[in-house]
Order: sequence, then structure tokens, then C-alpha cells
Amino acid sequence: MNLVRAEIERLSARRFVQLMVVLLALAFAITAATTLAGSHKPNADELNSARAQASQARQSMEVSYQECLARQSGSLPPQDTGRYLPADCSEIDPIRQEKLPIAADYLPGVFTFAQQARPLLYFLIAFLVLFGFLVGASYIGADLNSGGVVNLLLWRPRRLTVLAAKLGTLLGAVLVLSLLASVAYLATFWVIGQTAGLPGRLDGDFWSSLAAVHGRGMVLVLLTSALGFAIATMGRHTSAALGAAAAYAVVWELGGRLVMEIIDARRPDQLMLSSHIGAWLTGEARFWDPQICAGNAGNDYCDSFYSLTWGPSLLVLLVLTGGLTAAAFAVFRRRDLL
Amino acid sequence: MSAVIEIEGLRKTFHSVRNGRRVAVDGFDLLVEAGQIHGFLGPNGSGKTTTLRALLGLVRADGGRMSVLGEPSPELLPRVAGQVGAIVESPQFFGNFTGHRTLRLLARAGGVPIARVDEALELVGLRDRGDERVKGYSLGMKQRLAVASALLKDPRLLILDEPANGLDPAGIREMRDLMRSLAATGVTVLVSSHILGEIQLICDHVTIISRGRRVAAGRVDEVLAGYDRHEFLVRVAEPGRAVELLQAAELTAVVDGEALMVSGVSDPTVVSRVLGEQGLWVGELTPLRPDLESVFLELTGAYEHSSVPRQVDGSGLPHADQGEAVINLDRGVDA
Repeated sequence: MNLVRAEIERLSARRFVQLMVVLLALAFAITAATTLAGSHKPNADELNSARAQASQARQSMEVSYQECLARQSGSLPPQDTGRYLPADCSEIDPIRQEKLPIAADYLPGVFTFAQQARPLLYFLIAFLVLFGFLVGASYIGADLNSGGVVNLLLWRPRRLTVLAAKLGTLLGAVLVLSLLASVAYLATFWVIGQTAGLPGRLDGDFWSSLAAVHGRGMVLVLLTSALGFAIATMGRHTSAALGAAAAYAVVWELGGRLVMEIIDARRPDQLMLSSHIGAWLTGEARFWDPQICAGNAGNDYCDSFYSLTWGPSLLVLLVLTGGLTAAAFAVFRRRDLL
Repeated sequence: MSAVIEIEGLRKTFHSVRNGRRVAVDGFDLLVEAGQIHGFLGPNGSGKTTTLRALLGLVRADGGRMSVLGEPSPELLPRVAGQVGAIVESPQFFGNFTGHRTLRLLARAGGVPIARVDEALELVGLRDRGDERVKGYSLGMKQRLAVASALLKDPRLLILDEPANGLDPAGIREMRDLMRSLAATGVTVLVSSHILGEIQLICDHVTIISRGRRVAAGRVDEVLAGYDRHEFLVRVAEPGRAVELLQAAELTAVVDGEALMVSGVSDPTVVSRVLGEQGLWVGELTPLRPDLESVFLELTGAYEHSSVPRQVDGSGLPHADQGEAVINLDRGVDA
């Protein structure tokens, strides 16, 4: 416990951590300020007009769907009405749509919390992922490089305990900071929605969906923090983690993808970490695979997409992070500390 | 006396793609007993720091046996780590921490009472500068802080690697006094240093390492005695005639400037008697005792080839192989 307390003090005293927290607060403040400046509370006329437009849009969707069904059943002559009518009418069935037009869609310059909360949360998660990776890497990388770890081992000559205390402290600190930042961030935008915009429909479904995204985001933040820590431990330097991340992005995500496209490899996206990160964060990611519909005669509907779901994607991320972390501990246990 | 540090046959080889294989320590032995202030000497790259790092579990030894305060190291080092204060080379501290905060952090990590921080700062003379940031410290002050960190635990054994680095003459003297006062309270001190005069002044025992091997060990006076050629500087009115008279008396004597160097003299009264009987009166008869520096340079071969730029790893120097003289702790000089 003493070791963890000391590590918390060391971590919080790091200039880089302080800089990243300031950057987080700055990004947060700029986003909130621009949102606040660009939003206003709609008056009754604006609301009525928006509701009418939304209602009209929903009606139009219903009409298109009915038209499609009628044409499919042959009760309507095949004349051009100017509407898009697909072969499979379920595509435009309003009930099957993920989201129907609502008044908020027709209120320009009005911030609606229910609509914007998810993209705002994605932005926060992206920042925290970057924060976790960089802080995780620099925390151990700088300490290994400067002799801080050696100093600590002279006091506590238990390598695995010291490294585990560092990793545990890092993950705990990143989680606490992420939770606090998330609460402050969402609360601020909720207040903006209440006072200078619209709260939108904040029912149980909304909050549970937002909580799920947030929970998955926090897991991702912890995994990337551990990943940065593990790679920097193995490479002895912060730059090892940064270099590994940059090399992976350029060599595999860009170069590898390009090569796989050239050789017509099937489903290259499922070999990319970015695909699994997306699938984990959103619950499901869909990717195009032309061979899915290759054997389709054209009678049945075939959309040529396949899905990566959050379960297998989480497994990929866990195996990668767990493997690298275990390797980092194994290397650190035997390494000569010069 | 009980052994506080025991090293037998320590071996360590570093391998790297760029530099290949390099033997850093090759069958090294070290014995430090309770209450000693033990000097650990060796040229740059001779294996001193590698030995200390291996002893403290920072470097994995390839072979040999080590123990600290009776516990095998590094396996059971955690058992006694609370009683061992150590600095290895110059430790780095957070520049934006104050000295006080730096020590408080270490005290917390090691489970040492925070009150001990002020005592340690006082001991190394940083009491009034403890609230300043470390980045504003001079090299000497950082070194004092490092020593303070080693003293925090109130150790039974203190291992100091080059503690005088960066210290001014007054600081070196304070460090010497500190080590003496610690030793007086029963703390065993192992100190490595390049400042041989300092080692000779403060240490009662010494071990000299060269090319990863022990080339001398024992009480400082015994090690020096092993290299005493019983030489005397003699000043007389007629040096040339004096040489002839001494050589006739079967003594080895040569003219050295305006004086004589007479060696192999067990009893200096012989010199004054031989010369006095022939009417040559001795104006000066000074015994030339070896100091640690001359013994160190002779043992490590760091002086004889002074016309050749000396290399850190000892290349270009006579190899301190098994054929060279080795002074042993209790056995005097072994061929």
C-alpha cells in the first residue's frame, strides 16, 4: 500500500501527466465554449415548426414504404413518382429504421444533448485512449531511462511487485481520471442542453445505451494504457511505445491493408486492430465483402456486408494486451538494469 | 567478526549485438566484515559497478555466490533490504521535486517513518536546502541527497558507489567524517571511489578489482606493506661516493638527482652507520612508503603505459591475468 501511495505521488507529479490533464481540460473547455456559443434555447415557433417538419418527414417515409409495398404487390403501376423505392421494401420500413426524424433534426443552431451525447463521448474516449497510452508509456519509460526504477528497487528489491504496483497505480489513476472527466464532461453538456439548447429525449434507453458506450470506452482506455506501459517496459523507453504504435499504423494498417487489397485477400478488415476497436466500442462494426454475394443469383437480397461483434473483438484486444503485458513482466524480471 | 557481504566467484558477461561478448566480472571475490569501512577500488570499466549492481539484484549474475547480511542475494535480499542503504552511480531524482519531497517519497515506498527524512537531510548537510527543488541543486548537493536517500533507512550496511562525485573539498571532508561517524555507530560501509587518497584516509580495509578480478584485498596497511620495497631517500654531501660505499656494503643504491635512493633496507641505521664511518654525514633519511595510489596503479597497470592513451576497458594495458601478483586478505603476497 505504501508503494502504491508513493507511486500515485510520483505519477501525479510527472510534468507530462500534468500537461496531458491540462490539454484535456483545454479541449473540454473549448468544446463546451463553442457548443455554448453556437447554441440557443429555441422559442415556441421554432419548436412548432421543427415538430411539424419532423412529422412531415415521418409521414413521407411511411408513404414511400406503402408505395413500395403496393408496387411490389402489383396494385400500383410502375410509374416514376420521384421516390427511391428499393427492391426489398423492408429497407425503408420506418419501423426498422434505427432512428426516425425528430424535431431536434430541424432545429439548426440548437444543441440537443440526447443527439450529441454519443459523439461527444466518443471524442472524450478517443482523447482518454491517447492519454492512457502516452502516460502509460512515459510513466515507465522515463523511470527506466532515468534510473528511477533502479532507485526504487534499492528500496524494494522485488521486481514484479514494483512493476505490478506501477501498472496497478497507472490503471487505477487513469480509470479515476477518466471517470471524473466523463462525469464532468457529460454533466457540462447536459447543463448546456438544459439551459442553452434542448435536453432531448433522456429516457432509460438513452442512458443505458450511453452507459454501455462509456463502459466499453473505459475498458478501451485501460487496455491502451496497459499496452503503452507494456511496450515501453520491453523497449526501456517511452519512444519504444510511440514507435511501435506508429510502425503498426503505417506498416500494417496502411501498408498491410494496401497489399491485401492488391492481392484480393478476403476480409482484410478483420485483421486490423482498428476494426476490432471500432467493433468493441460501438458493439458491432460492418465491413464490405464482395464474395458474400458472389453466389447470389440476384433473387434474394444480399448486402455484401459482414459484421465484427464486440465479443470476439474484446477477446482480440484482451489477448493482445494480456500477452504483451505478460511478456513485459517476464522481460523485466530477468533484465539487467544498468 | 561476521561477514556482512560475501561474494565468491562472481561472474558476469554482457552480450550485445553491437559489441559482442564482454566479460565484466570474472570470478570475483569480496569479503566485507561487520564494522569495516571497506574501500572498493578499480579503474573505469573494471567491474566495480557491475559487482555492486549484481550484489543488489539489479544485474543477473552468470555464476558465483553472494550474500548480504547473511542472506543469499539476490534471492533473499528483500529480507534485509530494509537494513541496506545503497547508492549505485549517481541516482536521478525528479527535478521538480524538493529534496524533502524526494526523500519523503522514498521513505513512503520503503515504509520508513517520515520523521527520518529530516534526520537524513541533517546528516548530509542539506537541512536548510531541503525545501528547494532538486533541479536547482549543484552536482555535489545531488550527491548529498543521494547519500541521504541511502541513510533514510538507518542502515546496518551502507553501499556507496562514488559518493564523493561532484563534492567540493569541504564536502569530501564532510563525507569522510560522516562515514567515520556512521562506522563508529556500528554501520558497515562499502565505498567505491576513484579518490584513492580518500580511501586511504577513511578505509580500514580495501579490495582492488581489475578486469573483473580481485587483485588485492585486506587491511589497507597490510596491502601497502606488501608493496613496501623498504626504500629510503638519502641526502649526503657526495652522492656518487655514497653510492659506492653503500653498494660495497651490499645495499642497492642509485643516484636520484641530488639525493640517493637506497632500497632493500630493513634497518635504516645501517645506512647512516656505513656512511658515517667514512665521514659522510647523512643530512636526510626519509622512508618511502607506498601509498594506495601507487599500489593501485601498479596492480591495475594503469600507469606503466602512460604514453599510450589508456582505454576505459583496459585494452592496451598489461593483462592482469593469473600470472600477476595477487595480494590476498590474510596471506600477504601470492605469486
